[in-house]
Amino acid sequence: MKPQDAKVCVIRIEGTNCEDEMANAFSMLGAQAEKVHLKQLTGQAPAALRRSLEDYDILAFPGGFSAGDYVRAGAIFAARIRAAIGGDVKRFVESGKPVIGVCNGFQILVELGLLPAMEQTMTDAPTAALYNNDSGRFECRPTVLRNDNRGKCLFTSEIPSKALLSIPSAHAEGKLLSNDPDFVQKLEDNDQVVFRYVCPDGSDAVYPWNPNGSPSDIAGICNPAGNVLGMMPHPERVMTRFTHADWTRGYSSEIGDGRAIFESAMKYLEKL
Amino acid sequence: MADLMKKRDVPFPLYEVGLLAATDDELMQVSRDMSLSLSLDEMKVIRDYFKKEGRDPTDVELQSLGQAWSEHCCYKSSKPILKEFVFGIDRDDVLSRGDAGVMVFDDDYGYALRIESHNHPSAIEPYGGAATGIGGILRDVVCMGAQPIGLADPLCFGPIDRKGELPPGIKHPRYLVNGVVSGIRDYGNRVGIPTITGGFFFDEKYTGNCLVNVACLGIVKRKDLAKNYAGGPGEVMILIGGRTGRDGIHGVNFASADLTATSDEDSRGAVQLGDPITKEPVMHACFEVNEKHLITGMKDLGGGGLSCVIGEMALDAGCGADVDLEKVPLKEPGLAPWEIWVSESQERMMCTCKPENVDAVLEIFDMWDVLAVPVAKTTDLKRTRLFWDGEPIFDMDLEFLTGGPVYNRPYSMPIVSSKEREEFPELPSDREVILALLSDLNVASKEWAIRQYDHEVRASTAIHPMVGEMNETGPGDASVLIPVPGSVRGLAAAIGCNPWFTEADPYKGGMACIDETCRNLVAVGARPNAFTDCLNFGNPEKPERLGEFREAVRGLGEIARELDIPIPSGNVSLYNEAPGGHHILPTPMILGCGIIPDVRKAVTADFKKSGSCIFLIGRTRDEMGASLLFRKFGGKEGAVPAVDIPALKRITDELLSAMDEGIVLSCHDCSDGGIAVAVAEMCISGQVGAEIDMSGIDLPLQRALYSESCTRWIAEVDGKDVTRFTEIMGGDATLLGITKGAGLHIKDNGTRIPLEEMRAAWNDPIWNIMGGGKQ
Amino acid sequence: MTVIEIRIELKKGVADPEGKNTKKTLEALGFEGLGEVRSVKLFEVETSLPADEAVKAGEEMCRKLLANPVIQNFKVTVR
Repeated sequence: MKPQDAKVCVIRIEGTNCEDEMANAFSMLGAQAEKVHLKQLTGQAPAALRRSLEDYDILAFPGGFSAGDYVRAGAIFAARIRAAIGGDVKRFVESGKPVIGVCNGFQILVELGLLPAMEQTMTDAPTAALYNNDSGRFECRPTVLRNDNRGKCLFTSEIPSKALLSIPSAHAEGKLLSNDPDFVQKLEDNDQVVFRYVCPDGSDAVYPWNPNGSPSDIAGICNPAGNVLGMMPHPERVMTRFTHADWTRGYSSEIGDGRAIFESAMKYLEKL
Repeated sequence: MADLMKKRDVPFPLYEVGLLAATDDELMQVSRDMSLSLSLDEMKVIRDYFKKEGRDPTDVELQSLGQAWSEHCCYKSSKPILKEFVFGIDRDDVLSRGDAGVMVFDDDYGYALRIESHNHPSAIEPYGGAATGIGGILRDVVCMGAQPIGLADPLCFGPIDRKGELPPGIKHPRYLVNGVVSGIRDYGNRVGIPTITGGFFFDEKYTGNCLVNVACLGIVKRKDLAKNYAGGPGEVMILIGGRTGRDGIHGVNFASADLTATSDEDSRGAVQLGDPITKEPVMHACFEVNEKHLITGMKDLGGGGLSCVIGEMALDAGCGADVDLEKVPLKEPGLAPWEIWVSESQERMMCTCKPENVDAVLEIFDMWDVLAVPVAKTTDLKRTRLFWDGEPIFDMDLEFLTGGPVYNRPYSMPIVSSKEREEFPELPSDREVILALLSDLNVASKEWAIRQYDHEVRASTAIHPMVGEMNETGPGDASVLIPVPGSVRGLAAAIGCNPWFTEADPYKGGMACIDETCRNLVAVGARPNAFTDCLNFGNPEKPERLGEFREAVRGLGEIARELDIPIPSGNVSLYNEAPGGHHILPTPMILGCGIIPDVRKAVTADFKKSGSCIFLIGRTRDEMGASLLFRKFGGKEGAVPAVDIPALKRITDELLSAMDEGIVLSCHDCSDGGIAVAVAEMCISGQVGAEIDMSGIDLPLQRALYSESCTRWIAEVDGKDVTRFTEIMGGDATLLGITKGAGLHIKDNGTRIPLEEMRAAWNDPIWNIMGGGKQ
Repeated sequence: MTVIEIRIELKKGVADPEGKNTKKTLEALGFEGLGEVRSVKLFEVETSLPADEAVKAGEEMCRKLLANPVIQNFKVTVR
């Protein structure tokens, strides 16, 4: 599939607010990105506006505060999706199409049971949680990520192993928790760890380089099949060099560090 | 009073007020008991109007007048002064002076700008007050058809480390700061608009009356620029968004009176509760109906609620309006008509459309799950008429209602700070002075707040509020956005304000605020393009306060006119006084916007490397009046910095052309704490030291280091570009030294301060008081 | 009408920054001698169900939306 044929569904409800830049990120690579309200997928919209999830090639959950993040970050959006189009979403994932969730989108994927989803495509109840940052504050700051995936995740195919990417974070609940004491080991065994926070020199992150206290510095994970990626930092915010926090201190390329994640997804579609 | 209010025999609460036969005492009693905040003279004018109408007014009509004639709505004390000095700076790239000003951005787009105060509500309930302030300013931009792209929040509080008794009814500044910052964070972040700049000003004089100013920038396709009024008679007015409730009743009267010791309990009803999650779909739906050209105008329901918006939208189109008040959706049953008419419940907007487009408009709002209800029609009669299930309850001439009184109140000229009476303070070593200035709350790092605000959402922030090494940053001057994806044209925004200068010499202070705004914009490589101002002053009925206001406005008007930079929007907030009449510092808060044709040429304030030349741009004079040094170490009087406007114009051109050639590595505005603090800040953000020699400045060393003369910058230039740089700058650049080592070294007297000490002095104070981790 | 009262608490061992922060602010306002401050979420759901069914429904609501079992416990009562 050529990039210009790829249809991207950027899904939103009230309170979603990073959909413009998420759609833009895909458009910059030539794809047809459409911002789609959940109501358009559930048949609650006028006929001309109704959409069907299966017509899309990529599903993107943008950041923001869906439904105000009331109850819990991402919980209400996840519950509405599960109730109305849970089956469609599950089939979408099982068909191997790329699904990305950033920030609130990651929280939604976890609440939906699409991540970490170790045992099945979509668990009935969440098996992990993205919990309050250790600092107790919303943290908007630059973070550096290391690609720790060994090849499973389709969103990092164009990123060298262990490469460092400067991708900013902005969230209050990004600490990935699980009840399972062997959680991190199992993620590693399944090659589900995608990004870790590190210091700019690549060494283990300490606060503020790990802005939320996530165990093992985990910033992003994928499902066992590798086609669903959730991450707290915002790659769509750094598609060019000129929205990085420190570009005036010198740069070698005008391309931003976030772009490779979207390019990987497009490359994957090209092979289909 | 009881006998003046006569219930009309209708099945809802409606009273006729016996004004025609009322004595002066009774008129004032009515004004007080109904919380109208109207003076005796104003009540008499109203009585005379209804005499002509031949009947007594209803409570709805009187309440409406109380709103329309408040200082907040009709600017009755400030208008003559604004007219004399700041109105009418016209340039043909002003696209609109509506609810927000709109300026040309490029061939296809305009940008919107507007600042507003939310001072009194925030002093009572800091979280809700600040949050609703953001909501209101967003709507002002949205109703121009513009997508909000950036928020800016300059705030003034008492010292957050204040010890000792607080005046009754006053909350501790630390508590207020925490609440206000949380309110801005939760609303701004939730609604997905980056908070890109702002400012904190701490002074004991703000303890009793904090200032919360909120500003918003937007971007709009010029072909979609919306009007804020109807297209003509026979149109339908549709109320959009939130339901109407008792929250926010009498907000404008409250904003137009001094705070009292019991404001705390009395006024809870006047503080509104915001809902950012309603706001988001309201914005989307408004853009959609506007882009499809289904509506003729839209306007935010701000101060005065329905009572103001309906009259203004009709009158500006030369129309009147008939309103079916019972159609207004309510939060709770049982509101009296007057309450519905003046409620300032949040998240509401009004739009007007041709009758044939009503269904299409309603369908779009329904798609976004936004409540939208037709409530009124425009008429060719210049009157507002209200009906409740057909029963007439209000019928007034619109020009009388919205005209409002205008006062030329008496003022006295301020006595200004002078050089003759100056007392220069005893100073410790320069090392101690510089560390003390860096750790002053007004200079120290505001990172505690900045990192709680999402300043990058929308992915268009090119220059961030903090600059330098990642997570080792220092202060920036202006933030820069890339409003149109795919373009490289940048919009810079910066705050400029020096309330201490303005107190010591209001005229020079007013000018200095504009100069500082320009400096901040130019420092990043942007050409100043437009200003919006929020004029926060004291009680205008006191001649000294009005004198300060007049002189400050004269100063900023004069400089804006000379620079030929328009002020297409603004806001006045008077009566900023604490219980007991303690007035605030006169605070003309300026937000400036500048344009940078290619953001890739933007410059930041962090020193970039070791071995570059450091230049002072502009002239340093013996102007110590109201300087941070004097405030900190007990200096008295002194000349307040004046602005040499021709020099500001000339240097702006020079510096921008040097930046366009790419030979300015870093640039920082020179303000609080003078050259010493500016250079120290550039070291902190750049993680590199500096060696400077002040002998090129013809002043005693301490005056040279700490004078806060206007129109100055510090610039870093690579050695190989020095010849070209000095050629461009003419005589306006003085070599100060070089970047070198790991600290600040002042060669004149051998002062040395290590970088880590400066960083700690600057970085830690606010973190230490507000709590939380350091960077 | 039956009212289902649903109390959502953080599991033991899960940090509670909101509680911690609230405590700090309360102390800033001059309240002395405070112990731990915990944040708890309470929902009141009105329903026409009889009491015994309402409890079950409340528990189901927690499992489907109101609580994340990884970090939260819930308690459902009816009045």
